[in-house]
Parts: sequence; structure tokens; C-alpha cells
Amino acid sequence: MHYKANSVIYFKGDLEDRIFILKGGRVSLNSNDIETGQEIHDYIQTGEFFGVKSALGKYPREENAVVLSDADVIMFSVPEFEQLVARNTRIIMKMLRVFSNQLRRMHAKVRSLLAAEEQVDPEEGLFRNGEYYMKKKQYSEALYAFNKYLTYYPAGRYNQEANKYAQTAEDFAQKYGQGKGPTAPGLSGTPAETKKPEAGKQLSNAAKQYYDAVSLFSQQKYQDALKAFKVIVDSGSDEEYVVKALFEIGRCLFSMGHHDQCIKHFTSLIQKYPKMPDLSDALFYIGQAYQEKGDMTRARSFYNKILSMPSVDDGLKRKVNKALRTVEDAL
Amino acid sequence: MDFNNKAFERFAVNFRRGDLIFCEYEPGDSFYLIQEGRVQISKIMGEIEKTIDILHPGEIFGEMAILEEAPRSANASALDPVKALEFNRENFEILMRGNPQIALKLLKLFTKRIYDQRRRFMILTLDDVQAKVADVFLMLNEGQTAVDPESDERTFQTKAEDISHWAGLSAEKAREVLNHFASQRRIEIFPDKITVKNINEFARFVNSRRKQ
Repeated sequence: MHYKANSVIYFKGDLEDRIFILKGGRVSLNSNDIETGQEIHDYIQTGEFFGVKSALGKYPREENAVVLSDADVIMFSVPEFEQLVARNTRIIMKMLRVFSNQLRRMHAKVRSLLAAEEQVDPEEGLFRNGEYYMKKKQYSEALYAFNKYLTYYPAGRYNQEANKYAQTAEDFAQKYGQGKGPTAPGLSGTPAETKKPEAGKQLSNAAKQYYDAVSLFSQQKYQDALKAFKVIVDSGSDEEYVVKALFEIGRCLFSMGHHDQCIKHFTSLIQKYPKMPDLSDALFYIGQAYQEKGDMTRARSFYNKILSMPSVDDGLKRKVNKALRTVEDAL
Repeated sequence: MDFNNKAFERFAVNFRRGDLIFCEYEPGDSFYLIQEGRVQISKIMGEIEKTIDILHPGEIFGEMAILEEAPRSANASALDPVKALEFNRENFEILMRGNPQIALKLLKLFTKRIYDQRRRFMILTLDDVQAKVADVFLMLNEGQTAVDPESDERTFQTKAEDISHWAGLSAEKAREVLNHFASQRRIEIFPDKITVKNINEFARFVNSRRKQ
């Protein structure tokens, strides 16, 4: 196949299964760096394959293949390519090396972006896996992990514990059998346990109740959501979630069509917490409730009040403006 | 291709049902081709063990160890009595030369893994947490095959913990974003699934947040 300069062999996003070898001329693979968006030019050398990954993996092209100066390429379908390389494993080996390198680089990049809390060094990770299995009374798995730990980290940080656990796992497996028996001694006081509260990942009770209630709301089960939010308010344990729940109660009332109650609720909420974070949204609900009731004048004054506030987010502003137009048309 | 060939017999290894084949974080120097039985790939995340994949005869696992001894990135255990061929770097080249079919299979496996990792990386590079979560749904959507092209609505058998894993966020943060989306009526959260009301709207949203 012959391609003229400035033509494009394939475009980013194309889904097709051709694989190419550059015979002569100049071809560049142009893509954007995922992180920075910067344009990357990869020049194909004569005799080099291109388009292999997306064709074999059956996914869209990730780059534009642009012809810089008149080029000759040899084209293969995937079955043709397979036939070709099956007779020449050196090509596959070379590609495997390249791909394996790319994969490892990608892995490293992904790891570096993941939150630090997710990163565990292999020694610690292996030990924790053993502990996990110990807790689940999966003794043979626990034994496997601890034995590997002791093999690879004979002078490791958790050497003593691993030794002890390995023994216990063996004993318990014999005495009680897989999946049975009491909790192994030491498990509650291990570093794994003491570390947990430090991470502070456990949701407070109020938070959990709150999220469950929001989930009910999202399923449009307003009656149930309302009840659940009221429980949080009544328990009064966590001020942050009490205010959040109070706000959601107003939304439930609005969604259920109880406009008077909604107005009353939000009005008293604003009076009680004039600095609440969702103030502008609360005002918007009051405005909407008035609008639904047909009281356009009051609705308009609430909408205007929101627009006069500093730091209202753009999304809300758009909604308010739209509502305001409707109201003004009606007046 | 006949793997029961005598020439392969010396690579064969057997595992009993329930056996751990390897454990996450353990240094790995071999990879496996399943001949009989199923293999479960899983990861322990906090208090639960999550199944990532279930592999069948003819499939390969542990392939990251081919060129470099790196810690295993997941657990592999036998769901059935498993017979597998175990290869390491020493016998790998010899094997490949004699059996280009395995080499091709590996090549395809790598293209898929690279694509998956690259996709995951794209999610993580987004600065905006809402865009991260939305992009997780786009990724899941790309993996779905039976979708109604007429409809913008998509349902995913997924949970907040899965989303937090893919988006690289804490479980709490992920739940917060999901609830925010729910309160905007952009998604609906059920105990066992999440419905995205308009997947194209999510696509536009994510694109607007990506550096171009």
C-alpha cells in the first residue's frame, strides 16, 4: 500500500483490525499524554510494526497514524498476522518484551497515583493476608501465606508473629478443621487491629444512617427516607449529620408535594443555622415550593435573593435563572 | 493445540480444590496455563476477599512474572481440582519457540491488560473527584456488550466499594460523591446495582474535565 504525505492511515478512535509494517517513508503516531494532554509523536522506524495492540486487543486506536512523507506499508489482517508470526517466534518474543515493559510502566504509573493508604509494601501485605485468612479460619490458606512470609522474610518484622500463627494454623486445622475453631489467640491485639482506628476509615454511625437514607431518597422512596432522616435528627449524636439530615427532610417534603410543610421546614432550618453550607439550595427549595403553590411573587423574591448572594455555584445559578424566567412569564 | 502432549508433562502441576496457588505480595517467578479446572483470582481488601476473575482451561495467569520477578498482584486459588502447566523464565523461551500459539495467546493477553491499565490510569489522572467516579461508570459501560443503543440509561452490577477501588478514592469519599450524584438524580443507588440515568451526559462531563 502506498500513502501520500499528509494522509492518515488510521485515526484515533477507529475500530478496525489491520496491522501494518512500515516499508519505506515516514509515519508518525500522534497521541496525547494521558496526564498532561501534551501531544506525543512516535516515529515509526522502517521495518517496524504498528497498530498491533489495538488490532489484537480489539479496542479503538489510541493514536492518529499520520504519513509525514510518502510511505509504503504492508498491511495484514489479524489472522494473516498470526500466521506470519507463528512462523517467526522471535517477533513475538520481541513484542512480548515491549508489551510487558509497557504494562509494567502502566502499572507503576497507576500505583503512583493511587492514594498512599492503598500502598502496602510486599512484606507487610503478605503478613496481612495471612492474618486475614487466620481470622476467617481458612487455616490452609493462612499457613500458606505465613510459610511464604517466613521463607522470603526470614528476618522480617513480623517473623515472631508469623511463626506463632503458622503453628496455630496447623494445630487448629488438625484439631478443629478448616473453617472451625475459636479465634486464634493474639488476633485481636495484632498490629493489624491496632492500626485500623488510626486510618480513621470507619464511618460514624450517623454517617452510615445518613447515606442509607440518601440512598432511599435516590430510589424515590421519600416516605421511608423521611423516616430515616428523622431518626438521625432525633438521635442528635452528630451535629454535622443532623444538619444534613434536616436539609434532606426538606427535600423529602418537597418531593412528596407537601409544599407548605417544606417552606415551614426550610424557613426554620435557615433561622436556626444561618450559616449552613446548603443555604442557597434551601432558599431554592422554598422558592420552588412557592412556585408550585402558584405564589409567583414570593417565588420570584426568593430566586432574586439567591442570585444576589455571593458564592452561589454556577449550576444552581442556571437553575435559578431558568426558574425565574418561568415565574416572570407567569406574572 | 494439544497440551497433553508428553513434552509438556514435566511442566504439569496439580492443585486440590481450595488450594492457594499463589498469594498477593509473594514474589512470583512463574506463570500458569490452566489445563483442567477453574482458578479464582481474588484480592483481600480490608475485611473482604473480592473475586476479580474466574479463569477456565486454556487461560493464562501470573503472566506478570514472565520477564521480571515482581510481587504477585492478586491471590490465585483452585476452585476445582486444577491441573496447570507451570512455566518460568528459564523454560519460557524454549517453550515459546516450540509453541507459537501460546506466545500469541500471551501477546493478546498483554494487549488487553495494557488497555485495562491504561483505562484505569485515565480515571486516576482526573483531578475532579466527581469526574473520577463518572469515568468509572464510563469504563464499566465500555465493557458492557448487551446495551440498548437507543437508551441513555445504563445499569451496573456494582457497589460503592468497587467504585472507590477503581477511582482510587476512600470508600467514604466514593459514597459521598455517589450520594451527591443521587441527589442530583443523575444516578440511582440500589443495594446491588447502580443505574446511571444518562451515560452520555457523564461522557460529556468527564470530557470537559480532561486536559486536552
